[in-house]
Amino acid sequence: MTAAQQFRRAATAKVADPKHRAVLENNIVTYDAAVALGKTRYADWENARSRAAQIKWEAVNHLDRYLEQFERAVGENGGRVFWAETAEDARRYIVELAQRHGVQKVVKSKSMATEEIHLNTAFAAAGIESIETDLGEFICQLRGEPPYHIITPIMHLTKSDVAALFHERFGTPLTATAEELACVAREQLRRVFISADMGVTGANFLVADTGMVALSTNEGNGRLSVSLPRIHVVVAGIEKVIPRFEDLAVLWPVLAQIGTGQAVTSYNTLVGGPRRGSEPDGPGEFHVVLLDNGRTCLLADAEQRDALHCIRCGACLNACPVYKNIGGHAYGTTYQGPIGSVITPHLRDACEWSHLSYASSLCGACTGACPVRIDIHRHLLHNRRNAVQRKFDNPFQRLAFKAWFWAMRDATCYRVSGKLARLAMRFGLVQLFLKPWTQCRNLPVSPAQDFRSLWSKMEGTGPSAPPPANVNHGAAGAAPSKRYS
Amino acid sequence: MNPARENILSRVRSALRAETPRPPAPTESPIWLPVGDVETRFRTEFTAVRGDLLDSVQQLREFLKAFPKIAIDGSALVRQLLGDGTVTARDADIGVTVCDCLVARSGSIIVSARVAGGRALSVLPPVHLVIARRDQIVPDLAAAFMLLRQRYDGHWPSSLCLISGPSRTADIEKILVMGAHGPKQVAVYFAG
Repeated sequence: MTAAQQFRRAATAKVADPKHRAVLENNIVTYDAAVALGKTRYADWENARSRAAQIKWEAVNHLDRYLEQFERAVGENGGRVFWAETAEDARRYIVELAQRHGVQKVVKSKSMATEEIHLNTAFAAAGIESIETDLGEFICQLRGEPPYHIITPIMHLTKSDVAALFHERFGTPLTATAEELACVAREQLRRVFISADMGVTGANFLVADTGMVALSTNEGNGRLSVSLPRIHVVVAGIEKVIPRFEDLAVLWPVLAQIGTGQAVTSYNTLVGGPRRGSEPDGPGEFHVVLLDNGRTCLLADAEQRDALHCIRCGACLNACPVYKNIGGHAYGTTYQGPIGSVITPHLRDACEWSHLSYASSLCGACTGACPVRIDIHRHLLHNRRNAVQRKFDNPFQRLAFKAWFWAMRDATCYRVSGKLARLAMRFGLVQLFLKPWTQCRNLPVSPAQDFRSLWSKMEGTGPSAPPPANVNHGAAGAAPSKRYS
Repeated sequence: MNPARENILSRVRSALRAETPRPPAPTESPIWLPVGDVETRFRTEFTAVRGDLLDSVQQLREFLKAFPKIAIDGSALVRQLLGDGTVTARDADIGVTVCDCLVARSGSIIVSARVAGGRALSVLPPVHLVIARRDQIVPDLAAAFMLLRQRYDGHWPSSLCLISGPSRTADIEKILVMGAHGPKQVAVYFAG
């Protein structure tokens, strides 16, 4: 099955699942309320977005300079930078590093970049135990599922789903409260933290001028992952770099506000290298894996370069009417929702993933929510155009558009095709072609007469006649769309 | 030598030959509402993120009674008040540290590995107590970063953390639960 077929199948199943819809709605309604309340702290939220966008633009458009500066500063701090062109390169480096140091147990703090490179699978293949420590990710790992949302990994689960899972795994009562469940995870994972040899984290930002990695977590798992194990490995996309330490004075609050409605995340940690001589603890080794894995392709597309501004806050997912209906797993990608639909064709195979450009109503809610002002919905249109130009689209669709274009240019063809279409509608032929649409929606009944015949009758009755009430706009279902250029 | 570095950088450079327009400049208008009196604001915000304020030596003594095993950062300020700690961070009921500064706008505490006894002491024990002075409160993050830059530029500690309340999670149905992996309780005592 192709990715597009899988997507259609999963999305169709999810939209028809009322429980799924209720769980998502409950989650997103709570999120919306927290974000609205958080915005009351701001005198000018729009200006905060502009500042954040400006910082990311500066970084992304001078990426070579800031990456080199970051690398130099990490080296001065006693850490090491590894450049990985592909996911495979990154996995190999990290697994070999772990093997070289006799690592048996790894603790992971939530990181989308490590999801992208499937690091856990690589650790498992090498016989190294790796344990997710963010509560949501821990639950995903127990269920053998990828995260459902960039920052809310188990948005699709209810408390009783989690209670049932913990009952089966840890013998906790089925009636456990959220607090009791979190407490079980805390106890389970505390032992793991203390015995782990390596901590793997992602990065929310890479600070070029001080060579530090910025990590935001509410649970404190990020802090423990960088405090207790003897090796700390960071996996981060090259676009995560920001120019200055001081930029975090804007980016930390903006990320927290749009991610959860908090003034700032509970723990915003900066790690710049292994422990220093005078410090009592901290890892002896510090490695940063800078991941390209298709990001330079996106960088080369100047039109869509701002998609690299993304700070992975999840706001566009929460705003998206498509995400709210189909949920995160249907996309089949590491990065879900509108931003995932924009970047996945660049990071992975453009042909295989171009169908995601259509998983949007183009309402622009994503663009309106984006804290770094990425033109998300316009990029979905760019990807549609690119797919057509590169002939990734369906040949049948291409033929249909050609036929339509040809028919629309000639009055006779237009009239005849309109008549044929109305006939086809009446006898259920159109429904055959439009089955994915009509199986859960009613097709409008075609009127007895078309606009042309109404008009010619009206012309006989003089200019003062009222306009006809029932007007049919030509061929069935095919409202002429504006050409996009 | 790994050729990836040069490959990635050369792809970056060639990609950047096509320029993109800089987004419209932000205006001069302030992003946030005014902070007001820094101590009042810190107290309000710190309490809002579920931090506990200890207002007198009596309260501090009372609070500490619950924790027989105390780990401290070794700073003069903490030792003056509490004497020497009894255990390491790993075995402690409470970790007591000083801080680099406090941020009024978000009710946050900034600790560095150098000042606050390393990385684990302020996150591993179930409770974190911060001994601070009122003159350590700065209005906002911009002021805090300016202070840190002045203090550490050229010789940064290996780790810094902006702490805003106890550890928490809302992963399950967005229900807020305090005490995920880090401290379940964070308290501040002003020693001057």
